[in-house]
Amino acid sequence: MSLRAERFAAGSALAESWEGEWVRLTAFAYRNLIMARRNVFFLFELTFWPGVAMLSHGLLTRFLALTPEMTAFILLGTVALSAVQVCQLDVAYAVLFDIWSKSMKHQFLTPVRIHHLALGSWVVGVGRGVIVWALMALIGGRAFGFDFVRPGVLRVALFLLGCFMTALVIGLLVCALVLLFGTRAETSAWAAVNFFVMLSGIYYPISVLPGWVAVISGGIPLTYFLDGVRAGYGFTPQYAHPFATGFALSLLYAVLAHWALAAAVTRSRRTGLLLKLSE
Amino acid sequence: MPVLSPLAVESRNLAKTFRSGWLPRRETVALRGASLQVERGAIFGLLGPNGAGKTTLLSILATLLLPDGGSATILGHDVVREARAIRRRLNMASGNASFVWSLRPGEVLSFYGRLYGLHGRALKTKVGELLERFELLPHLKTEYNELSTGLKQRLALAKALLNDPEVLFLDEPTLGLDPDVSIRIRAQIAELRRQRGTTIILTTHYMREAEELCDRIAFIKGGRILAEGSADDLKRQIRIGDVIALRLDPSAPTGLADLPGVLQVQPRGDRLECTVDSSEKRLPEILKWLCDRGVLIRDCQVHEPELEEVFVELAR
Repeated sequence: MSLRAERFAAGSALAESWEGEWVRLTAFAYRNLIMARRNVFFLFELTFWPGVAMLSHGLLTRFLALTPEMTAFILLGTVALSAVQVCQLDVAYAVLFDIWSKSMKHQFLTPVRIHHLALGSWVVGVGRGVIVWALMALIGGRAFGFDFVRPGVLRVALFLLGCFMTALVIGLLVCALVLLFGTRAETSAWAAVNFFVMLSGIYYPISVLPGWVAVISGGIPLTYFLDGVRAGYGFTPQYAHPFATGFALSLLYAVLAHWALAAAVTRSRRTGLLLKLSE
Repeated sequence: MPVLSPLAVESRNLAKTFRSGWLPRRETVALRGASLQVERGAIFGLLGPNGAGKTTLLSILATLLLPDGGSATILGHDVVREARAIRRRLNMASGNASFVWSLRPGEVLSFYGRLYGLHGRALKTKVGELLERFELLPHLKTEYNELSTGLKQRLALAKALLNDPEVLFLDEPTLGLDPDVSIRIRAQIAELRRQRGTTIILTTHYMREAEELCDRIAFIKGGRILAEGSADDLKRQIRIGDVIALRLDPSAPTGLADLPGVLQVQPRGDRLECTVDSSEKRLPEILKWLCDRGVLIRDCQVHEPELEEVFVELAR
């Protein structure tokens, strides 16, 4: 085999088939699914915390004697937080599992790319996010008479997809932080989502935020998805085309977060952190 | 049309410095211009004391670490610019390898197999074959963190063969293993080269392992390759000297130390140990000299230096 032939062989192998792309993507889904099935804390993530959040917030709305619309306003925020949290954790697990087991180098020794890691684990996150939504809808409906599909199936589907897109962006940023700062940044996996959700008007309209904070809120996709779905409960939308704006922002941030993670991987190869996280 | 290079691995003046902390900024120089060439199908050993730069060199070649200077190619591809192309064709196993704690051996292999693009029947066959080959089948239901050190090591080796690598890096593959497990792993390494012609670069602290497995060996210390060659070449290069142990009557004839090529003469028990530059060359001369003086030679033994002695000499 000549050098040219060998280079050609490597080049053609590089041109990924869709099948190869799909298989690499399923690797992360496969691992996240096994971990979710085998570890009890995943069950807590899926049922306990969302259940507790829905019950406590529902009871709070009852105590404050809120109208059904105001109750919906609050409980939609509760659902958004739980769905985004669970889904983004799955994306972050693509890196965190390897951090915890000190096996980071093995996956970056393979011809894997950032989008395999991100999308493969995100798919499982979406599945778990839908389960969380269904569970919360069930509890909210039975205990507090909250109608989760009142805005219409399409609007609810767009809202959930928006939550999951936001989760993808946050999850990728968490992965990048962990690869930049090591285990010190691990807590960002749980902290980051709360920060973004707080700014996006989770239990309140962003008009109550100080002016400069509201400007930041305007840059967060979840703000638009909450605005869009709340319109289905009779609240006046604060933005024109909230879903379109939210998805456009999400896509932009997903591309930027993908780039940030790729840059963090390259940096960790340069600094040796990739190896340190495997020792 | 250019001819395929006979070299599987080539590095030129690789340099790497690790930096940490802010104030004060700490710098650790790990490699200071390491160059080596490994032919296709060879088993190449990297020996050196702790912190010599062995793992850093291996990690750069395996595309896990970016060098600060110099260049390296694997199978003709640059390790920095064409890293993705070569990751399909190389793999690595280390003695302290670790995998996700609650995955079972078959799941570990299935996960990494997928990352190499294996799927369906091909994945199932490959995983089954490796589990059988590395005697992991009885441990299919055991989670990774419950496996013994030996089993973990075997799983690491099995993972390293998922993509049938043309170049395989082994970092201390028998570290901390029982002798019988080490022997089996060494046999599997030798078989890999024999059956598939895999080029293997291994680091080890065990001289016997290096001597038994490696065609060529490089000694690395302080980030520099100090010597390179076959085990015999190295022994000659270092010139520690061969030892000729003699039992004579009379036991200590005078003048032996003045013979050409005799580096040292030392009594040890009932024997006289002569350290010479080359036993092959000096033994006949010494025997003739003794016979000419009527010295009775009761016993004569020649001892060539062990690789371990070369290591100690170089690591000094």
